[in-house]
Amino acid sequence: MNSAVSATLSPSTTSTKAINEAFHDEPLREPLVLGKPTLNDVTRKVLDIIESKPNIKFLAALSVTLMMALWGGVCIAYTIYEGVGVWGLNSPVFWGWDITNFVFWIGIGHAGTLISAILFLFRQKWRTAINRSAEAMTIFAVICALTFVLMHTGRQWLFHWLLPYPNQMNMWVNFRSPLMWDVFAVNTYGTVSLLFWFTGLVPDFATARNFVKSKIASRIYSIFSLGWVGSARHWHTYEVAYMIFAGISTPLVLSVHTVVSFDFATSVIPGWHTTIFPPYFVAGAIFSGFAMVMTLLIIAREVLGLKDYITLKHLDNMNKIILATGMMVGYAYAMEFFIAWYSGNTYERFVFINRATGDYAWSYWIMISCNVISPQVYWFKKLRRNVPLMFIISIFVNIGMWFERFTIISTSLHHDYLPSSWGYYSPTWVEISIFTGSMGIFLTLFLLFAKFVPMLAIAEIKGVLPGAQPKHHHHEEH
Amino acid sequence: MLNAMKNTKTKKYWKNSEDFINGKQSHSSDEFRPDEEFAPSFENGVSRRTFMALVSASMAVGAVACRRPDHRLVPTVQAVEYLTPGNPIHYTTVYQQKNAAYGLVVKTSESRPTKIDGNDLHPISAGKSTALIQSELLSLYDPDRIRRASVRNGDSSVPNALLTIAQAIQKQSTEGKLTRFLIEEHCSPAFNTLITEIETKLPNVKFVTIPAVSTHSQAIANNAGIGINGELVPDLSKAQCIVSIDADILGNDKFSLYHVSKFTTGRKPTHDKPEMNQLIIAESTLTVSGAAADKRFVVSPSEFESILAGIYQKISGSSPELVSAATSLKPSNSAAVTTISAALMKAGDKGIIIAGAHLSPAAHAVALAINSALGSIGLGQPLYQGDIVPNSSEKRTNVEQFINDCNNGSVGSLVFCNINPEYNGNPALKSALVKVKNRFYMGVNHNETADICSVSVPTAHFLESWGDALSFEGTHSIQQPMIAPLNDGSMSLQDSLIQVANYVQNGTIVEKDYYEFLRRTLTNVPDKNTWEKALRDGIIPAMSRLDAPIVTLNTTALASIITSNSINLSSANCFVAPSYTVGDGETANNGWLVESPDPITKVTWDNVLCMGKEKAEELGVEQGDLVKVSRAGTGSITVAAYIQPGMAEGMVSVALGWGRTSGGKVLQGNGDNAFRLLAKNESSGYIPVTIEKANGSKKLAVTQTHQTIDDDREIINEITLAEFAQNHSKNGHGEHSVSLPLSIVSDVTYKGHRWGMTIDLSACIGCNACAVACQSENNIPVIGREQVANGRIMTWIRLDRYYSKPHENSEDIEVNYMPMLCQHCENAPCENVCPVAATTHSPEGLNEMTYNRCVGTKYCANNCPFKVRRFNWLNYHKNERQPMDLVYNPDVTVRSRGVIEKCSFCVQRINHAKYHAKDQGHTRVKDGDMVTACQQACPAGAIYFGDMNDPNSTVMKMRSKRESYKVLEEINVRPSISYMYKVRNREPIAKTNESHHG
Repeated sequence: MNSAVSATLSPSTTSTKAINEAFHDEPLREPLVLGKPTLNDVTRKVLDIIESKPNIKFLAALSVTLMMALWGGVCIAYTIYEGVGVWGLNSPVFWGWDITNFVFWIGIGHAGTLISAILFLFRQKWRTAINRSAEAMTIFAVICALTFVLMHTGRQWLFHWLLPYPNQMNMWVNFRSPLMWDVFAVNTYGTVSLLFWFTGLVPDFATARNFVKSKIASRIYSIFSLGWVGSARHWHTYEVAYMIFAGISTPLVLSVHTVVSFDFATSVIPGWHTTIFPPYFVAGAIFSGFAMVMTLLIIAREVLGLKDYITLKHLDNMNKIILATGMMVGYAYAMEFFIAWYSGNTYERFVFINRATGDYAWSYWIMISCNVISPQVYWFKKLRRNVPLMFIISIFVNIGMWFERFTIISTSLHHDYLPSSWGYYSPTWVEISIFTGSMGIFLTLFLLFAKFVPMLAIAEIKGVLPGAQPKHHHHEEH
Repeated sequence: MLNAMKNTKTKKYWKNSEDFINGKQSHSSDEFRPDEEFAPSFENGVSRRTFMALVSASMAVGAVACRRPDHRLVPTVQAVEYLTPGNPIHYTTVYQQKNAAYGLVVKTSESRPTKIDGNDLHPISAGKSTALIQSELLSLYDPDRIRRASVRNGDSSVPNALLTIAQAIQKQSTEGKLTRFLIEEHCSPAFNTLITEIETKLPNVKFVTIPAVSTHSQAIANNAGIGINGELVPDLSKAQCIVSIDADILGNDKFSLYHVSKFTTGRKPTHDKPEMNQLIIAESTLTVSGAAADKRFVVSPSEFESILAGIYQKISGSSPELVSAATSLKPSNSAAVTTISAALMKAGDKGIIIAGAHLSPAAHAVALAINSALGSIGLGQPLYQGDIVPNSSEKRTNVEQFINDCNNGSVGSLVFCNINPEYNGNPALKSALVKVKNRFYMGVNHNETADICSVSVPTAHFLESWGDALSFEGTHSIQQPMIAPLNDGSMSLQDSLIQVANYVQNGTIVEKDYYEFLRRTLTNVPDKNTWEKALRDGIIPAMSRLDAPIVTLNTTALASIITSNSINLSSANCFVAPSYTVGDGETANNGWLVESPDPITKVTWDNVLCMGKEKAEELGVEQGDLVKVSRAGTGSITVAAYIQPGMAEGMVSVALGWGRTSGGKVLQGNGDNAFRLLAKNESSGYIPVTIEKANGSKKLAVTQTHQTIDDDREIINEITLAEFAQNHSKNGHGEHSVSLPLSIVSDVTYKGHRWGMTIDLSACIGCNACAVACQSENNIPVIGREQVANGRIMTWIRLDRYYSKPHENSEDIEVNYMPMLCQHCENAPCENVCPVAATTHSPEGLNEMTYNRCVGTKYCANNCPFKVRRFNWLNYHKNERQPMDLVYNPDVTVRSRGVIEKCSFCVQRINHAKYHAKDQGHTRVKDGDMVTACQQACPAGAIYFGDMNDPNSTVMKMRSKRESYKVLEEINVRPSISYMYKVRNREPIAKTNESHHG
């Protein structure tokens, strides 16, 4: 592949500062990129992160997250060696932190898919600055989630029995099991997300290929850029493929967490057996996903100096989504209570009263305060644009959403039908370590991503620079 | 099952291998002749097969090997021509729980005992068993049993150790010192003969019975009143009204198995016969009997005597002497007295009053007078039948004498025979024992007493030794071993005694072993045929009953007992009694028992100090906080506090049998030894103690927390007998069912069998027999304190205990037990959620678990509304020591970690029953041929199992005889188990209550 050819044909070189200025109007809306960078500035800004030597802060952060991940790995090995009995699970609480973490991580991923697919289809151009890292988060979150699905079983070495494949036992999986649906949903989700992310990365990998000085790095980017030369034909195919992926991904935003919620909703356990779960889980997933995107991007824009690209407008928009989805989950919490009362079902009523007043009331009230009360500050624009505040709120929401899953799983199980079998569950150090380990995996992957992969969608950002697409009716657009 | 096998005609049995080889019996296969191959005789040289068998067996079990005993064994009614690997053989034997005898049938698999059950033909066990009996199997294979003899802490051989003992006795004897053999209570006539012969031949030797827990009050009263120096055992099935004054007849009584089965016989009202007996109890702590009572009065311990006296006066006892004597006990006129005397008078000679074994002779004397007045002893319809448990007050005098002998230095040697006074003795006894120079120990298990002895000799378990036992009502059984002693060289206690006696003086006992001795002394089995029949049936035929008790009351003597033998319990605030699980502590190293939840507290692995809420508040303790219980002059213990409803004001209680310190791995660190609170001549009952809060707390391994059902969930359904009788006239219908069209798919039709169970909530008393039987049958692991505390107990059947109140404003509590096991739901929520189809429905309606397919997602367990699924969190067999692996039922998989398990309705037994039916040429299993392990053990007969497709099966008939319901029917899981309503007999209590409670 001739890099010179691609360079001349890539959109970044078709624009010039002159054009940029000529078509720049007084914005009716806030610009999506501040500081009026040139197309070349954009390329430099993003790829300098890759090209520059890793600094001490990066290495320190990486070693911390790696340590977390490694310790988690040791604890996973210990669990496999001894059995899941090293966790605090018991009868009646057969699922605890393991499945809480699974649902938590799967939920985190949803923001990425929502941003990349649905916002794309709705032509929400503000997504461009955040979609790449949000999608990366999706993939990393799915990896973390998979860790917990694999680890929570009693005989982890037989995980392949969960996959439908022809075998000498002539045994087929049980398609009636919601866990089976999970296998399909999560695998589809992981695969589609990865491909979608990669498709979006192809033009940027080509740019990186041309940009980096190291021959080896260039070679590697060259492989990932799949021979991209930026021809009109390439762009056309790319746009079509991207659109198709967005189309495929859109239902996944709804389906994955719906299926995950079926694990609970199709059971007979009071507190789980609820029809509200699918929409409630989807809203919760988006809520938690956006909170995680916020947490990471606030750090990234500070550390990597991306404030012009990830602007307050982006953060404001995301906060609006957090407010909206937070209200949705709040509504779901209220509705659960109402239905429990309205149904007249003894067991249902008991479970919900027990949630708010029982042994796990602390968990329930953490959930309510973090998820319902804390986002209410976002009614005010000033607070939506207050970076330190939104950082704190994003952490709160992460915590709250983790506790939501914990509350649903543990409180429903620990006091179910027969009072004789009631119990209490608290995690052991092993479970806590594996959870922090998954955090470590997630952050390590994110750090590596930030260092080695174009963190912002260069091509897309160039597309939303003021005047980037002169042929379009940019006047109407603004 | 036993009955099913009876139709095989009696075969001719050969006595030994010579007969066999000499062609008296001929057989097509020589491969598996039992005697030759499995009872190796080295005199004729070791054959290659024998050698290989021995080598492989010893490799498999380390130091021990499964061999059949050398003597000719006679299997039970099931005729066995030769050993077929995989086919179990059943043998009868008899178990002695102190002086109670229970006939047993033991299943052996490849020559090792693998299951113990009651013998149908034995009138006392009647095919039933208790947790204690079931658990003897594990005790047999206890790795902590004494493995080899030791002399002065050095390893020795059994003959050498016995010789050492004999030499010491000889030496002491020449110095004019006495030798005392200390034994537990027993009921073996042959052992008694042996003792007499040894005592006759060796004048310096005497046997002294030192029971861990002994009570003499009833014997004293009986001796005075009716001239019987012993206890009387009532037949509760004949009683209409049973009044217990602090008598835990269904719990701690050594005849509890007998009492439970007789008591519950009268508690099964049907629509045809809406009648049942009534149990009224007055007690100060909550006991198993109190939990089963129709009406429970909570009184303080000082009231028992006055209540008895009050009742006697109310029912107008005929003897003026006794009436005036009763006045000395300050007759009470409380609600309890009114209710009880009304109920007793209504029942007349079908009414009986039983005083607690630990109460005073005066209390027992009044009880005897009441029963006499009611006519419930004697007069053609004796409630008391037979004798006379040979437990008399003479023994107490013997012990006194013995302590004096020790103290004045006239005793030179002590031989402790399977007893543990160092642990359970009172301070007076313990200090006397250590004054004797030579102390020797013979026993099955190591214990604290062995620690203070210079020689310790292993003896054989009862499943390894010959013997006999006589039941109180006259049934005589032979104790037949089914396995040679696991520890090479060890012999039964009696064999060891014969050896010692013959070492001391040659020819003391003419027979070379106890087997020969038994053959000589058991004159009621004179020839081979009767002997073999006795072994086959488990009872010696044509045994005449002992004399019926004399029923003329000696009122003068009784009156003097009443006036002079009363015990003032006004300062007593603590009740001590043997543990419901580990008894007096002899079985404290048995994991099955230690991990059985106490029926009342549901605590495992510990004894606790039970106290009411007010008492706990007064002491400032919460559940699990350590408290120090001390008594001046005896000692103190530190145990965890446990908040227990149903206690009398200010009362506490603690179980004996815990806090052992020596004798195995299991018993270490479990609770504290409450025997330390007992003074001379006490072994259970009420004592005054001081209680103070100690530092620290303990995480108790409780299997069920206190959860009252404060909403309207219908888990236990109960009705009164009156309501039951009324319903009967209105509708004769049986089972309730949800009949809405709840499913859009049509129901599965079960063409062959469809197994189901019915459980009688009225009969269940929560005794744990089913749970331990299940543990034994289904290879359920013991997981340890930590794991239980973590909520991971593995038992497949659990006894759920729920407290309730008789009515809204009542202060009283009532206890309800519900055996909870896999309900084998037709619409099972566990089945559809398993991603790998490891739990599925069988064509016979079983919810089956395929262990090797399970990956352990635990989703099924979460989705089980009954929470009866158990998960192998860890490899619970990892640290198992040999020979414990011999305890397992070969028909059931031992589960490794990471898989779910649960009740299988004993599917292995179902399959056996089906093979049997097929063999017999039947197309279906006959009703009654298939019994589950829990059903077989249940002394209350509360469990029915059978084919729901057969309308004539017992299980279906029972459902029509009394209303039954299915738990959580409303969530449409459609269980295969139905529960018969708990019926309480509140007549005429209800009326007196109304006036009482306004």
